[in-house]
Amino acid sequence: MTSDHEVGADRVSAQRPAPRDVDLDRVWVGVAAEVWRRRLGPVERLAGRLLRSPGLARALVTTPSLLLGWVVATGVVLLAGVLATLETGTPYVALLAPAVAAAGIAYAYGPGIDPAWELSCSVAVSDRLVLLVRALAVFGLNAAFGLAASAASGVATAVTLGWLLPMTAVCALALATATVARSANVGVAAGVAGWVIMILAGQAATGRISAAVTTSVLWLPYLTFACCCAAIVLYTTRIPRGTS
Amino acid sequence: MNVATTELTRRFGRTMAVAGVTLDAGPGVYGLLGPNGAGKTSLLRMLATVIPPSSGRIRLLGHDPDIYRQRRQIRRRLGYVPQNLGFYPGFTVVEFVEYFALLKEMPSAEVHRAVAAAVERVGLGDKAKAKLRTLSGGMLRRVGIAQAIVNEPELLLLDEPTAGLDPAQRVAFRALLRDLGQRATVIVSTHLVEDVGAACTQVALMDRGKIVFHGTPDELTARGVGTTAAGDAPLERGYSAVLAETRS
Repeated sequence: MTSDHEVGADRVSAQRPAPRDVDLDRVWVGVAAEVWRRRLGPVERLAGRLLRSPGLARALVTTPSLLLGWVVATGVVLLAGVLATLETGTPYVALLAPAVAAAGIAYAYGPGIDPAWELSCSVAVSDRLVLLVRALAVFGLNAAFGLAASAASGVATAVTLGWLLPMTAVCALALATATVARSANVGVAAGVAGWVIMILAGQAATGRISAAVTTSVLWLPYLTFACCCAAIVLYTTRIPRGTS
Repeated sequence: MNVATTELTRRFGRTMAVAGVTLDAGPGVYGLLGPNGAGKTSLLRMLATVIPPSSGRIRLLGHDPDIYRQRRQIRRRLGYVPQNLGFYPGFTVVEFVEYFALLKEMPSAEVHRAVAAAVERVGLGDKAKAKLRTLSGGMLRRVGIAQAIVNEPELLLLDEPTAGLDPAQRVAFRALLRDLGQRATVIVSTHLVEDVGAACTQVALMDRGKIVFHGTPDELTARGVGTTAAGDAPLERGYSAVLAETRS
């Protein structure tokens, strides 16, 4: 129960103007800042510490191909590859992993997938740095998933490790194409198409579908190709001079 | 001077979008008028360090944007609303403004308060936690303005900022511009001559890549007096008169 005295006091305090030295707008902004504050997740907090940049960490955790749905989808595809490998003995994980990673890389960053790309090009955190961090994170996650899936499928060590280089090359192709074409979908198409062509060519030449990942003579060409694609990305994302 | 350009040009293929612009601007609100294709957006994009000039000199906030470290310094103190802003539909208003505050490398301790202040300043306090995909075009425009002012920029570049705002919002926006122009250089590209008359201390009129008039809104108005130039308002007649004179 509330006494008459308390009710009267409440009325008086409600009608009383704020003291002149209290800036209510300022008080409200302080309150709003606390109420609207976004709590950092553990991943973002860790990324912030590692990268020493809260902006870069935020950019990293908002990578489309690192969002939960995408990560789950990647896991499901590789799990299907594990089951198919165990069933047939064909190293499907090794064949799937580069294509899956290429799709993730193409969707990591760039004008094709970032609606506010123009704005991103006017901020202090360099868009190249964001691209690098996101691409490395997506690559790392996909490599870890692929290695785990490959190990679980019980294939030979040569196959388990053999797809890492082709994966690097295919990812670099997807990234370079996505950057040049300013379209993530075009990047995915190029990466997947390039990888399918490699698999078919390897099969035609040796009769083995896994030739693209097990033929050691291809490692140097893969590495060279990846370096060329990286150079294209660097060239495309430079601040252009002149007449572009 | 916060903005100093000398004979600035920008070429896209065979098209000369900006054809030798020399401009000096200190604190105040500068209106950039001109017909479609006059080169306003290209000029703003150069000032926003999004694209470099093809030739000419440019200094922003005392720094050279051609040098990486200095460009970074400029970008920390820059606010920019491009013509086609682009939004992340899954972000809330606060998340979007905070994202760009962080990318502008604002000190972490200041970010939350600055975001709240910017969101309140554009009148979106009641939509702070709303997803961007649920907002109207005018509200999205205001979100864009909030991200631009979140770092209290010393150079604010706005490309068609009032497109999609209703009359009441435009009046409030002009007041915001006048307030920001007290200490910052605000350059507003617009088709709406009345915005310039109400909010700008200086106006530049661009045509075919060049600045063909630079002065106060009153001086632009005076150019239309006694002419048969088209326009419903004195400032519009001044605008039309200068354009007609340039093209004759």
